[in-house]
Amino acid sequence: MNASPTFMDRAGALFHRYANPGRFLKLGAALQPWLTWPAIVLTLCGLGWGLFFSPADWQQGDSVRIMYVHVPCAWLASSGYAALAVCAVLSLVWRHPLADLAAVEIGPVGACVTATCLATGSLWGKPMWGTWWVWDARLTSVLVLFFLYLGHIALIRAFDDPQRGYRAAAILALAGAVDLPIIKFSVQWWNTLHQPDSITLTGAPTMSHAMLWPLLVSTLGFTLGFAAIVVARLRAGVMEHRIRSLLTSPRRGTSVNATLAESGAQELAV
Amino acid sequence: MTHLPYILAAYGLAGALALYLSIGAALRLRRDRARLATLEAARGRQPVDGQTETGRAGVSA
Amino acid sequence: MKRKTRRLWLVIACVAGLGAAAGLTLSAFSSNIVFFMTPSQVAAKVPPADRTIRLGGMVVAGSVHRERHGETPVNSFEVTDGQAAVTVQFEGILPDLFREGQSVVAVGSMTPGGGFAASEVLAKHDETYMPKEVAEELQKSGKWDPKFGPPPNAASWNAMTAKDAKTSSRGS
Repeated sequence: MNASPTFMDRAGALFHRYANPGRFLKLGAALQPWLTWPAIVLTLCGLGWGLFFSPADWQQGDSVRIMYVHVPCAWLASSGYAALAVCAVLSLVWRHPLADLAAVEIGPVGACVTATCLATGSLWGKPMWGTWWVWDARLTSVLVLFFLYLGHIALIRAFDDPQRGYRAAAILALAGAVDLPIIKFSVQWWNTLHQPDSITLTGAPTMSHAMLWPLLVSTLGFTLGFAAIVVARLRAGVMEHRIRSLLTSPRRGTSVNATLAESGAQELAV
Repeated sequence: MTHLPYILAAYGLAGALALYLSIGAALRLRRDRARLATLEAARGRQPVDGQTETGRAGVSA
Repeated sequence: MKRKTRRLWLVIACVAGLGAAAGLTLSAFSSNIVFFMTPSQVAAKVPPADRTIRLGGMVVAGSVHRERHGETPVNSFEVTDGQAAVTVQFEGILPDLFREGQSVVAVGSMTPGGGFAASEVLAKHDETYMPKEVAEELQKSGKWDPKFGPPPNAASWNAMTAKDAKTSSRGS
């Protein structure tokens, strides 16, 4: 256990150096345009390419174009939850305040993306498979992921003491991360109606390059868009945190109490 | 195009979601920035627990 | 050990334990998680006629018979996994993707004669995506017949564009 504490110290110092909430406001403001504009451009290019210029599939015809929105959403649904799990570790081990605020903001965005993944998958399944929904391992495990997101959103806001909510939600996020490999490998471990992955790390993609490129562009665009929205929400979240602490801090002597602070908040909110 | 309604519904859904999330985030950011600026101005720009510097960075962004 | 280190190990231990538990549960219930049975599984242990099962496999080339009894189309086709084949009867409209050589999942139950009466047929498309022109070119050059199985190795065609396919078909 000689090496561990120094690693822990260094890792902790690194997080606090580069990711404390105050520093994050500066970093986030600088980063925002570099996320937002490429996200808009790449998403529009990818979707336009997919919708109008990429070829139709030999057996699915034009329905294959749903892939260009469905696959990026599916990728982000899993990645968003992985990000929640990373925040959970940072929160549980290092008690990092920014990780808690990030978890609050990632949850709803991830849930929206997962819902879109399920809905677009349904819209794809009806004309191709002949059904809106089946209870196969892939579809069911993604539905479970959606409920995990909903549970996380509810749990992190459920307590009067936010710290308790952060702790409980972090535990849920870590436990739920077990679902991620299940989603990934469900199409290999069990026979499912959902087809296996076309793009793998080990083999050539079983997809024409004329479809692969627009898919990669729109996936990159969606990913940057997800990051841009999360960064914007997190900046707002940090500011709200600061506003709350300014309003409740008894700086002007002990006479300033919570009621005064609250009336101030109402004035500002109007 | 075959199955055009399904394709349009999928793209429409994704577009609506993207607009909803991004406009929501932008409005929230603008509102919070204004609130924080008002609040810090009301405090007479006194250093608040050493946080004023970062607070201003957020405001000016 | 410092508190943070202890917390890190605690988190790692909990996640590992939970992962192991989930893995064991899933492998124990593995046979219940599969979405469909294959024809050879059905042949090895014929399920009772009153049980609804899902049968999945490839439609055998040349086995599809489509008839019409008044308004309702009546279809019969064989489904195989390469080792065994089961004849499926289905009254209703088949999905657009249904064809010989396509993977399908039929929902229904076994009939006393060893056949399968389907109440629903779902088409299962594979993970291969290729433009129509490329597929036609592969078929024309004799590299692939969709009736008899999955397309050839993707590396041989996935850089092929619609334009390449056209020029090579003109040249051949």
